[in-house]
This record gives sequence, C-alpha cells and structure tokens, in this order.
Amino acid sequence: MNAVVVSGLRKSYAAVEAVRGIDFTVAQGEIFALLGPNGAGKTTTLEILEGFRNRDAGRVEVLGCDPSDRGRGRALREQIGLVLQDIAVEPYLTVRETLARNAGYYPAPRDVGEVIGLVGLAGLERRKVRSLSGGQKRRLDLALGMIGGPRLLFLDEPTTGFDPTARRGAWQVVRDLRDAGTTILLTTHYMEEAQELADRVAVIAGGRIVAEGTPATLGGRDMARARVRFALPEGCAIGDLPIEVAPSVDGCLISIESDEPTKTLHQLTDWALNRGTALEQLTVDRPSLEDIYLQLTEVAEQKSPERGEERTGR
Amino acid sequence: MSTAVIHADQAQRGRRGDLALLWHQIRYEQLSFWRNPQSAFFTFVFPVVIVTVFGALFNGASGDSYFYGLSALQYYVPTIAALSVLGACYSQLAIVLATRRQDGILKRVRATPLPAWMYFVGLLAHCIVVSVIDVALIVAIGSVFGVPLPTHWAAVALALVLGAACFCALGVAVASLIRNAEAAPAVVQFVLFPLLFVSGTYMPIHSAALTRVTGLLPVRPFNQALLGPFAEHGGFAWGDLGVLLVWGAVGSLVAIRRFRWDPRPE
Repeated sequence: MNAVVVSGLRKSYAAVEAVRGIDFTVAQGEIFALLGPNGAGKTTTLEILEGFRNRDAGRVEVLGCDPSDRGRGRALREQIGLVLQDIAVEPYLTVRETLARNAGYYPAPRDVGEVIGLVGLAGLERRKVRSLSGGQKRRLDLALGMIGGPRLLFLDEPTTGFDPTARRGAWQVVRDLRDAGTTILLTTHYMEEAQELADRVAVIAGGRIVAEGTPATLGGRDMARARVRFALPEGCAIGDLPIEVAPSVDGCLISIESDEPTKTLHQLTDWALNRGTALEQLTVDRPSLEDIYLQLTEVAEQKSPERGEERTGR
Repeated sequence: MSTAVIHADQAQRGRRGDLALLWHQIRYEQLSFWRNPQSAFFTFVFPVVIVTVFGALFNGASGDSYFYGLSALQYYVPTIAALSVLGACYSQLAIVLATRRQDGILKRVRATPLPAWMYFVGLLAHCIVVSVIDVALIVAIGSVFGVPLPTHWAAVALALVLGAACFCALGVAVASLIRNAEAAPAVVQFVLFPLLFVSGTYMPIHSAALTRVTGLLPVRPFNQALLGPFAEHGGFAWGDLGVLLVWGAVGSLVAIRRFRWDPRPE
C-alpha cells in the first residue's frame, strides 16, 4: 500500500508553470527523497501534499485521502508531521512548553521528554526558544514534526543550517523513525543526505521528474564506467601511456574511462613502476550522485529555460 | 489505512476531548502573552498607567461643563477603560496575527490537527481576560481617586462584551488586510491614534459636526455606551451599541473572507 500517490500533478503561479505533470509514489515505510535545484517545483509539490496549496490538475492521495479536502483534514493531519523550510517557533515559550503544547493537539502523541532527547536538545528543556541558536531551533522544528507520532512525515530541507555532527544525528533520528514504520518524504539539496538516507530518489528539474531510482542506480550510475585519474609524471607525454583508449585531460589530471578498471589500473601501475615513477593523486571512482544530479538537472534546465517561482526560503 | 479507520478515530475523540483541547489551547495562549514583555506592557500596563497619571493630575477637581458636568476622572475612567479594551482586542490581535503570519507560525498551526476555530477561540479568550482585568483595575484605581462605581452594571457589561467582540473582529480584519508584519504596528496605530482623539478618548469633543461623524465610527459609540452607565446614570445606549454591532459584522465579514494563514499567498 502506498502512503503517497501523485499522478499528473500540475500547478501554475500566474504565468509560470511550476509543476508540469509529476508522477511518483511513496511506499509505506520508506524514505523517499525529492532532489532538485531551487525553483524546480519541490516545495510546491510538497505544499500541495501538505494541503497548503491547491493543484491545477492531477490526482493526489496522502494516506488514502485528498489533502485539499479540508473537511477531512483534521483526521488526516493527526497522522502527518511536517518540517517546513523556514524556522517558525513561538519565541517566548520554553522548549518543553512548545512541545507540550503541540503534543496536546494529537490523539496519541509521543513522550515530550523522549522526543527532546532524540533530537539532541536534552538539557535545554527550560530554555526560551528565542535564546536557542538557529540549528537548535531547527532541531526543535524536527521535534515538532514527530511529536504527534505521525505515520507520514514531510521534511522540507530538514538539515539546512546543521553542523556535520547535528546532521548525522538528525539522519539517525530519521532512520529510526523509518525503522519504526514511519514513511518519510523529504526534499534536499545535499546529495550526501540523499545518498545516506533515502531508499529511493527522484530528481525534479523544471517542474518535471527527470530521473527516479535508488541512490545507487539513479541515472544509470551503477552501469557507468569507472574513471581512473592521476597526474601525468614529469617528462612523459600522453602518448607514452600504455593504454588503448584516448584519455581526457580533467584540469591538471589525466582521466581514463574504463569498463575494466582492474586491467587498466594494472597496466598503468606496471608501466609506472618499470619507469621508476609514481602516479601522483591516483584515484579510481564512479560518477558520484552529485555528478549524475548535475548532469540530469543541467539537461533539464536547458530544455526549459523559464524556471519555476524562486522559493529558496530565507 | 482506509478512510473508515479515520472516521472511527474521529468518533472516538468525542466532545469531551475537544473541550479539553480548547482549555489546553487557551492556557498556552495565555502563557505566550504574559511571557512577551512588549505585548504585556503595551496592552496591559499602558491604560493603567494613563488612568493613574490622570488620577494624580485631576484629583479633587469637581464637575466641569468641559466634561459635560462630570469631574475629569468621572469622564476618563470609562474612556480609558474603553481604550484598554481597544488595546487588548483590536491593536493586540491585529499585530499578533500579522506577526505570526509573517513568521510562518500561523502556517505551522494550520498544519496541526488543531481546528481553526479553536485557535481563534484561544486568542479571543485571551483578549477577553486581558480586557476584564484591565477594566477592573481601571475602575479600582478610579475609585481610589474618589470616582463613584458604575450605576448600571448590566449596561456596562453589555457594552464591554459587544465592544470587545467588535474590536476583536476589526483586529482580525485589519490583520487580514495588512501584507507585511513590520508595517503592522504602524498601520494599527495610524488608524487608531487620530480616531481616539476625534472620538473624545483623551479630551471631550464639543463640535456637533465632528461628533456626528465620529458617532458612526467605532470608537466614539463605545466610549458613549460606557460613559452613560458609568457616570451619567444612563442605561443601555441602544443606538451606540447598534453602531458597534454593525462594525463588528463588517469586521467579521472581512476577516472571514480575507484571512490568510500563509505568509506567501499564491
């Protein structure tokens, strides 16, 4: 059973078509990430699913309900948690009071103290929200998203402004939520976040989905050729290299694409050892998720030069 | 998950849960207000300070034709009581709602299961609590300076209830029309300050032409509806209460049609 179903979704703002026919589904209990540049339509899509905006066309189902049907909204909202892009918390309440107030809105909330501990705010329970740092407020936001014990959690760029330690902590919280059965739909700019966290990924660009898959297979990443890179030893010409394929020059490094990296590497290192030189800065890798992402979004942006409404938050 | 399960959840919650939730919301609304030094001072302390200063200034002055035969304090206790209701309901509500919308707090509230009407009842309850405490304090300070207590409590109560309702509605209406929260305090005061002067809050108005106009605007009818039963041995001022009722209806209509939760509308 799917937690979220989106099909043929369209949305325009004035003359700009922000979302131009999007289809995807999120299965129950998975972490699904929407990747895309600013203005690609990520937040618009999320806000339609959250019930903040109405769609122009298409079908949307969230936990089996239509989010634009406000009559049934209360029952639906009891089962959904969300963290929006902008930090928005009342400044004069304490951390504990803020969470206790929201916990009261839900029929079966989680324990306030437990949630404070999970997001790493233990010890700050009695601090006023206004005296928290940006990252701490953001963690309070995450705590507010999960306080109701949601079956489905929307996270719109949840770790923006976190330091690396806090980010890893937040990822663990999200993974634990998934392992306890919560479905998670998140948007992010961070490839590392998608790679670490997501079970499946869709890339949005120019209001359309340009690729979908697991982080390991997105855009044919797993099928892509390996890339061997190194600095050309001094006194050598490219023609001296013992390989058949034409290498390319990538900055000050030589880059060789290969279907058989073991063989290519053996040829190169054998050659270098015989000559008594070293291959400085030698690496073997495959295209990173970021490489694939940049490729995909670049192509899509070229196809549709007019971009969606810029919604970068702050 | 099916919709049938959702309906079962809803039925299980029942009415009593809603009442408890409403009480929960009212309590936290109160907590937010009293913690905020700015709103606590301007809406709560300001009218009390004014009436104390006027009390010290005009203490012992007797009836004067400038004050329609009343003593200065007999005149000011009801008008400053009206001012405190205006501050607690109109100014406060307009500024709080515009600021919370701008900060995205209203949008966040909208995403919780808390029904919109409960959110508003929580806010209105808080406006009424502040108004009641303020009016009681102002009357008490007045009586310390020798101002007699109101002669017609029922008429005072009706005027206060209707006035509070009217100015709450107008506060929400103005919040719906203001686009940017930084402008909210300025817009609110820009509308209110001249209106207070021409409506006789700070000094009696003896121009018949002016009172004819201001009698149709919301502030003067409220002053008059309180002045009568407070000081002039009057009763229910039906004409003035009617004007308040009309303004309250206009405010409610604008509020219902134009209120927005999202800082960035489509």
